[in-house]
Amino acid sequence: MAHVVPIEAALRGIRLNSLPPLSLYVHLPWCARKCPYCDFNSHPTRLAIPETEYAQALVADLEQALPQIWGRRVYSIFFGGGTPSLFSAATIEFLLAAFRARLPLAPDVEVTLEANPGSAEAQKFEDYRAAGVNRLSIGIQSFNDRHLAALGRIHDSGEARRAIEIAQRHFDNYNLDLMYALPGQSVEEALADVRTAIATCAPHLSCYHLTLEPGTPFHENPPPVPDEDAAAEIHDAVVAELEASGYSHYEVSAYAKPGRLCRHNLNYWLFGDYLGIGAGAHSKLSFHDRIVREVRHRLPKTYIERAAAGDAVAERREVTRKELPFEFMLNALRLHEGFAVQHFTDCTGLPLAVIERPLREAEARGLIERTHTHIRPSARGRRYLNDLLELFLADD
Amino acid sequence: MARAFDMQHIRNFSIIAHIDHGKSTLADRFIQRCGGLTDREMESQVLDSMELERERGITIKAQTAALQYKARDGKVYLLNLIDTPGHVDFSYEVSRSLAACEGALLVVDASQGVEAQTVANCYTAIEQGVEVVPVLNKIDLPSADPEAAIAEIEDVIGIDAKDAIRASAKTGEGIDDILEAIVARIPPPKGDPDNPLQALIIDSWFDNYVGVVMLVRVMEGTLRPKDKMLLMSTGATHMCEQVGVFTPKSQAKPQLSAGEVGFVISGIKELEAARVGDTITLADRPAAAPLPGFKEIKPQVFAGLYPVEANQYDALRDALTKLKLNDASLQFEPETSQALGFGFRCGFLGLLHMDIVQERLEREYDMDLITTAPTVVYEVLLRDGTLMRVENPARMPDPSKIAEIREPIITATIFVPQDYVGAVMTLCNSKRGVQRNMQYHGRQVMLTYELPLNEVVLDFFDKLKSVSRGYASLDYEFKEYRAADMVKLDILINGDRVDALSLMVHRANAQYRGRELVAKMRELIPRQMFDVAVQAAIGSHIIARETVKALRKNVLAKCYGGDVTRKKKLLEKQKAGKKRMKQVGSVEIPQEAFLAILQVDNK
Repeated sequence: MAHVVPIEAALRGIRLNSLPPLSLYVHLPWCARKCPYCDFNSHPTRLAIPETEYAQALVADLEQALPQIWGRRVYSIFFGGGTPSLFSAATIEFLLAAFRARLPLAPDVEVTLEANPGSAEAQKFEDYRAAGVNRLSIGIQSFNDRHLAALGRIHDSGEARRAIEIAQRHFDNYNLDLMYALPGQSVEEALADVRTAIATCAPHLSCYHLTLEPGTPFHENPPPVPDEDAAAEIHDAVVAELEASGYSHYEVSAYAKPGRLCRHNLNYWLFGDYLGIGAGAHSKLSFHDRIVREVRHRLPKTYIERAAAGDAVAERREVTRKELPFEFMLNALRLHEGFAVQHFTDCTGLPLAVIERPLREAEARGLIERTHTHIRPSARGRRYLNDLLELFLADD
Repeated sequence: MARAFDMQHIRNFSIIAHIDHGKSTLADRFIQRCGGLTDREMESQVLDSMELERERGITIKAQTAALQYKARDGKVYLLNLIDTPGHVDFSYEVSRSLAACEGALLVVDASQGVEAQTVANCYTAIEQGVEVVPVLNKIDLPSADPEAAIAEIEDVIGIDAKDAIRASAKTGEGIDDILEAIVARIPPPKGDPDNPLQALIIDSWFDNYVGVVMLVRVMEGTLRPKDKMLLMSTGATHMCEQVGVFTPKSQAKPQLSAGEVGFVISGIKELEAARVGDTITLADRPAAAPLPGFKEIKPQVFAGLYPVEANQYDALRDALTKLKLNDASLQFEPETSQALGFGFRCGFLGLLHMDIVQERLEREYDMDLITTAPTVVYEVLLRDGTLMRVENPARMPDPSKIAEIREPIITATIFVPQDYVGAVMTLCNSKRGVQRNMQYHGRQVMLTYELPLNEVVLDFFDKLKSVSRGYASLDYEFKEYRAADMVKLDILINGDRVDALSLMVHRANAQYRGRELVAKMRELIPRQMFDVAVQAAIGSHIIARETVKALRKNVLAKCYGGDVTRKKKLLEKQKAGKKRMKQVGSVEIPQEAFLAILQVDNK
């Protein structure tokens, strides 16, 4: 039979010559208590978590997804939540063994687990390491008890410090999450938090401007956060302090010591592929002629039932040719170094010409810097990233 | 079927009432009582047919209903109800409607008493020799105070109100008494069906099927289909195609004779050709003179209307053209603004008229508009002796060429309860008003002021309502053009003069206005990627300055593999918000900013 160009693929106009790196995200949705600023899919529980059932659902979910990623190597695994550290090390070990048996993992695969600095959790750090986790991400948020209370956190600063010490004993690679522009926070207080974090010599820090996300209690009843100008003062001071302390500010909120960039997150920002398993997890998967997004069932109970029934995916849709440039930019322009022009074509299957107009506009407004091989946000573009991204939104 | 009535059994009447004193409900009752419509047809308040009118409770176009009423004397009378517009912007139309009547019902809310527009319209009626029959409506309300209302009518209007009919349009109480009073107290029309034709155009509107429809009152003579009509103000002739009455459904008739009210269709295509107040006569046997009172109405208030998106310009022109089909008083001509692009300078009878046009464009034609602050027409005397009319401050000639600027002055009549007199006087003084009269009428005070229209078009109505807690009512009429020390106030954004924001102010108020305006603009212009300087200037002299400080940052703190749709929506919302703004230089200016002057000191 003669070779026929598939008409649908031609209309979609996406043609990928190679597939981007693949990561695995595992969502563990339970928390001891929901924080008032959190807009993730997390479910507070006082009862015992159905660990075994959930772990089996995850494995069933993965098995159903395998045909979509058949033969592809996995470069990073990330246990996110919720509070993954509520899970026992045994369950994590069971899961990692199950993944290893079903997926070709890269020899130096990065395996991150998000942990709360509570004392009960910190006791498990050693066992997580033994189970195969090689990177911890600890949700410190602040070292100031007043601010921790305002954020509704259940740990205090003493626990935070002890958790870091324990983590340091077992992990050479770890991240501390911090937040700033907290209710009633001064520039000095924010700097004190950052300096404490720097003094631990943590290989990686994530420092977030507290955002009052829609649908959260903080959005409904806003706490007295610093106003725009005060928050910007804090932001500028925090960034300057970190950059002067040997951290590379490689993404909007991410700071790393040399060689310690988070591979898993970097893959998101470089528009790589990821399979997300677990309740409410999102996936982005590329094929030679299309790019697909998936969402798993959101409620843990539903997810467990549906995964067992071979039907974990609640939504699946193809990303249209029109949406792709924005989705790529939404991620790639978060990186200080931006992206290689060739990378855009590799990941989207589109020629750079499709975004030539917004690129020119962005350049004219001083929001990006470009050479013929590379595009990156300017300092101004990083400051007004939303205005920059807006240029890449397709007109309806 | 259409039966002929001799003049003795015809009564032509209007209803004079303040907005929401119940005119429309009362008219509905009459129609219902006289069987003008079946129940199914009787949608509430049929006379106010436009949706917008119904929402605002005002009547813009006069409509009419010919009602057959069997009176207590056993005879059947033809009662022609001629509806009148109920707002100050339409006082000329009201005077023409009244000229077509022998009588008028003065409907007063028994709990609220007399209001300024009612008084003005009532005076017009009395001046024209129309018999005024007072009616106290809403008598069923617990707050009704008929004695006080009667005293007020007698005191303010100066007519005997002892026999005022107590009624409730809502419950139907007193409706028959009103109909009886119409028969008994309003005189039948005079006139001779055999005289040369004189028919007064009360109203005209455009109908998609038959062209212009004229509502007329025949004063003398008779009009039949196939007659060759002569419109006396223009000298144009047209063939009469059809005559008839509204019951309120339209019903063709073989003729309209002296004393009768009805419609005329004659294939006229433009509304301007059928002007309200004009006299129709017959070409081959014309009347000696037209009926008195015809006036050419000129727009008093102008504003620029611009499409938010430039590609909507043609759609806006089409929409305005369609609106004008039914609104001869609306004027528009193309205008270009450096800031707003291509749009139209539109002339309106007044502020309400402007509001209505704007709302209809937005609602019925789905237009997204930017409106500039309303302005009046100035007469500018140049040093070379020529006199020009300036409808747009941006077009004001260079001050060095101007000998004198004259602004329109109105005489405003304000009715206000005693408690608020002080506040209203303070307001009028701050608007450069000069008090001409002050009279106490029972609970109410009638204030007469001469005010520059320029001050009134901006925010006077809203302020008057707020300082009097909604109790003050206002009526005004144009008085004269008067020389005034006016200056053009310009607004500069990052050094660029924004033509659409220029306005005329009195020199004495310039400093204050300028400061207030730039302060308001600073609130309205969102922070952007750079500092935005907002300045007010007279000529090259900067009198006020504010800075919209640059946005410090605009970044999403977190973005991982999760939900892209939410982040996308957020940015789409941001983009849509900007799309609704106008770009002046590199600055995004929201639509509200072009009307900032209206919001100044509305604190």
